[in-house]
Amino acid sequence: MIIKSYKTIKSTSLVAKKLVKKGTKPWTIVLAKEQTSGYGRKKTFWFSPKGGLYFSIILPKSNIEDLQTLTILAAFSIGKIIKESFSLEPFIKLPNDLYINQKKFCGILTENVILGKEVKSSVMGIGLNTNIEKFPDELKEKVTSLKIELGRKVDNEKVLKQILKGVKEQLKIISQ
Amino acid sequence: MKIEIFGKSYDVEISEIKEGKIKVKINGEEYFFSEGELEKLTLLEEEKIPKKTEIIRGTLVEKEIRAPITGIISEIFVSEGENIRVGKKVLTLISMKMENEIIAESEGKIKEIRVRKDQFVNTNDILIILE
Repeated sequence: MIIKSYKTIKSTSLVAKKLVKKGTKPWTIVLAKEQTSGYGRKKTFWFSPKGGLYFSIILPKSNIEDLQTLTILAAFSIGKIIKESFSLEPFIKLPNDLYINQKKFCGILTENVILGKEVKSSVMGIGLNTNIEKFPDELKEKVTSLKIELGRKVDNEKVLKQILKGVKEQLKIISQ
Repeated sequence: MKIEIFGKSYDVEISEIKEGKIKVKINGEEYFFSEGELEKLTLLEEEKIPKKTEIIRGTLVEKEIRAPITGIISEIFVSEGENIRVGKKVLTLISMKMENEIIAESEGKIKEIRVRKDQFVNTNDILIILE
């Protein structure tokens, strides 16, 4: 697994999709400290200031049904990690959003390129509000961060490694 | 390719138009065969000749882009009458909140777009017809 780290980029998924076109290997991770145009489904803006954890995984070629399952299982993995590591009670809004106290703190977006019936490439983008101290007024009633909920900083690197391990294990299980 | 038999020259073109179906063009005349065994080609009766829509490559006349999975069309990037190349992004299909970029498998002119934005589609539904 190779992690390509960036300071500030538009979006980790955009960079990952460009890398795929250049032939970058699966399980390459694009990680950014800050995204200027982070996005979710239907290109909705994902607030991504410094402090949060933003990364995209170039997934190995899988069939489309497995990718659907993987997106759901990634959400479960993240929920489990957050619950076990920080004793928080995350709620998974299936298939791909996670909430704490009715406020969103994590989103997952899997993007595939399909030719005929074949999945040519897949990128799973994950935005996790870890150490964000405050949100703009228009968001603060709807979103939260682990730091706000816990009152302390979390180790982004450690959380990242746990999530990557979880996603990899899940994919291994479902593609067996 | 040119073949000469007893001093007479024939222009011969052989192409596979569908799996197991062979088209042989001799001096402009088309003959269709079913590929039973490599050595033994059977001349097809007229009703067994593949329809133009079934032809997969070489002599492509009409092609379709179908839904690989059930979902909702969220964006359409092409319009009718447009000429597209292989690999062109034609539409986005959202399924279980995954965004699936559908790219063209073959080149051609878009004859018909059968779907509209926000429409629900089932697996294998025809989305776009090319000519």
